[in-house]
Amino acid sequence: MSVNDTFVGGKRKPYRRGWGRDRVAGTLGSTALGVYVGFIALWMIFPMLVVILASLEGTFDISLIPEKLSLDSYAQIPQSYWDSFWFTLWISLAATVVALVVAVPAGWALVRGRLRERRIISNLVLVPIIVPQLILGIALLGLFIPLQLKNTFLGIMIALTGLNLALAIRFTEALIQGVPEEYELAAQSLGAGRFTVFRTVVLPVIAQGIIIAGLFIFMQDLISFVILFFIAGPSTTPIAIRLFVDIVQRGVLPYAVAMACVLVYVALAFYAIVAFIFGPKYLTGAPVSRKG
Amino acid sequence: MDTARSAAQSVRLEGLRKEFGGSIAVKDVTLTVEPGELVTLLGPSGCGKTTTLRMIAGLLPQNGGEIFFGSSRVDHLPANRRNVGLVFQNYALFPHMTVSQNIAFGLRMRHWERERTATRVAELLSLVRLEGLGDRKPSQLSGGQQQRVAVARALAFHPSLVLLDEPLSNLDAKLREQVRLDLRDIQRETRQTTIFVTHDQDEALVMSDRVVLMNTGVIEQVAAPRHLYLRPETEFAARFIGANNLLAGRVVKGAVVVDGIEGAFGSYSVPDGAIDESVWLCVRPENIDFFAQPPVGSSPNPRVGATVADIVFQGSSVLVDLDVRGVGVMRAEKSAILVGDIKVGDSIEVGFGGAHIVARTAA
Repeated sequence: MSVNDTFVGGKRKPYRRGWGRDRVAGTLGSTALGVYVGFIALWMIFPMLVVILASLEGTFDISLIPEKLSLDSYAQIPQSYWDSFWFTLWISLAATVVALVVAVPAGWALVRGRLRERRIISNLVLVPIIVPQLILGIALLGLFIPLQLKNTFLGIMIALTGLNLALAIRFTEALIQGVPEEYELAAQSLGAGRFTVFRTVVLPVIAQGIIIAGLFIFMQDLISFVILFFIAGPSTTPIAIRLFVDIVQRGVLPYAVAMACVLVYVALAFYAIVAFIFGPKYLTGAPVSRKG
Repeated sequence: MDTARSAAQSVRLEGLRKEFGGSIAVKDVTLTVEPGELVTLLGPSGCGKTTTLRMIAGLLPQNGGEIFFGSSRVDHLPANRRNVGLVFQNYALFPHMTVSQNIAFGLRMRHWERERTATRVAELLSLVRLEGLGDRKPSQLSGGQQQRVAVARALAFHPSLVLLDEPLSNLDAKLREQVRLDLRDIQRETRQTTIFVTHDQDEALVMSDRVVLMNTGVIEQVAAPRHLYLRPETEFAARFIGANNLLAGRVVKGAVVVDGIEGAFGSYSVPDGAIDESVWLCVRPENIDFFAQPPVGSSPNPRVGATVADIVFQGSSVLVDLDVRGVGVMRAEKSAILVGDIKVGDSIEVGFGGAHIVARTAA
């Protein structure tokens, strides 16, 4: 059907709702968009599905119709893996909490302090993320050996906290910029000192955003690899490094795949908790509601 | 009523000044607000009214001058120690607190006991007619209700002074008219010394005991609304308040001669500051008189021929644009009943009875 079909003898047919040119183009467009989005979703979910399926089948020879699913490979996860897993979980939690405790007041001060050098500072803070972690790892190794921090809980925590601070300060800055300054001025005029303003108004208003920022940072730590590769040791092995070393030495074993899946489950569980507490819109929309 | 209620205090500004990076935002503002008075800072945006308000509240440090509440100087005190109730344009209600918690915030900061706080919050909820909504979150209220919560929060702790920063500009037109009367009633009931900032002259005229007209950081005129409206003292005031028609003229031997009009207007003295005895003759739209025929005998004021250029019916009144001979277009506003059956294109005679003059100053 061409455009001309709608004209007969120079007289225009009465307009009929239906498959006009625009309608066809619109349908094609939205179909294409749907397919595109579908592919992206598949692209992101596919690896996760493969690994989870493999962990249940105990092999990477995945058939589309799985014959036997079992939790055997989970049962085979060795104790050393679990040690690494819990070690990683605790150290990530600690490094996230420490980073937030430092970063939230710092971010507030950066935004509201009206420092002329603020742009420079908030960009400097990003350096640990921008610089390849390889460089940081080597530098930290050089620093930690004389300080005897290599292969210690504290050393790894310091390294992770450094990375976390960068993200946490940036998150906080963005969150506080979303809070109208009038909230703080109002609280001040009502009799609150600066610290009280921060505690009673700023913190509660950005709390949800901060918790979600914390979740992202925590997950980053959970799978942090490059920087820790240099400073970890036999008694302090994060799970990502444990898996890598084992896979290099012994190949992809079913229980290694199962362990990787456990990390996926942890991530999903945290998302679920946040979604449950704050409602799903806080995972998708703006972290701070602007509606006052 | 709560026993801790403090007597209303006066506010005195002495040569208050503020600069932002070299440009002067507020220049030597001196003003006294009497106890219990409602004074409006009125002016176009950028005239320094909000800056002045924020300096009084302690949210902006001044570059010069002094601020007194009663007899005590307060300009060295931080905002949280000035005991000022502040209402913001966007209300700035704390979104994570209920209405009651918002109202009680100032009391909490002052460590009021729980029972006394509850009593006071209930008192304020009833003052602003929000009984029963204390447990709502601000986001569950309409704009008008949020505005009243903000007012209640600012009044709760018996402030020395209440400051309102364009509190009506986020409301729709109909609600605004109601709320400004409500605000005026609340102020009359509580007798709190109040400074109100607005760019809306109607708001200023309706609500204030006195209006402080500001322009480019300077006070142009301080007067009661009626006086400001009928007798603007500066060219800016004459142009800003109402829709004055300004005719360029000169004072000659105690009478005003307007370029293009034969005859002289009444007896006037040359106002202070007039250059070359040049003045503006201000004619309010409602002070233009219409005459069907030329005058019989002599009249104290000259009459001029005019052609009706346009007529806009607005309900109770009618706007008539007149092409006045020798002067140009002037706008008249007449009661719909009095205008009669004038049509566009009619020739009539007009006179300017209630005119007054202000000095023409060098631009």
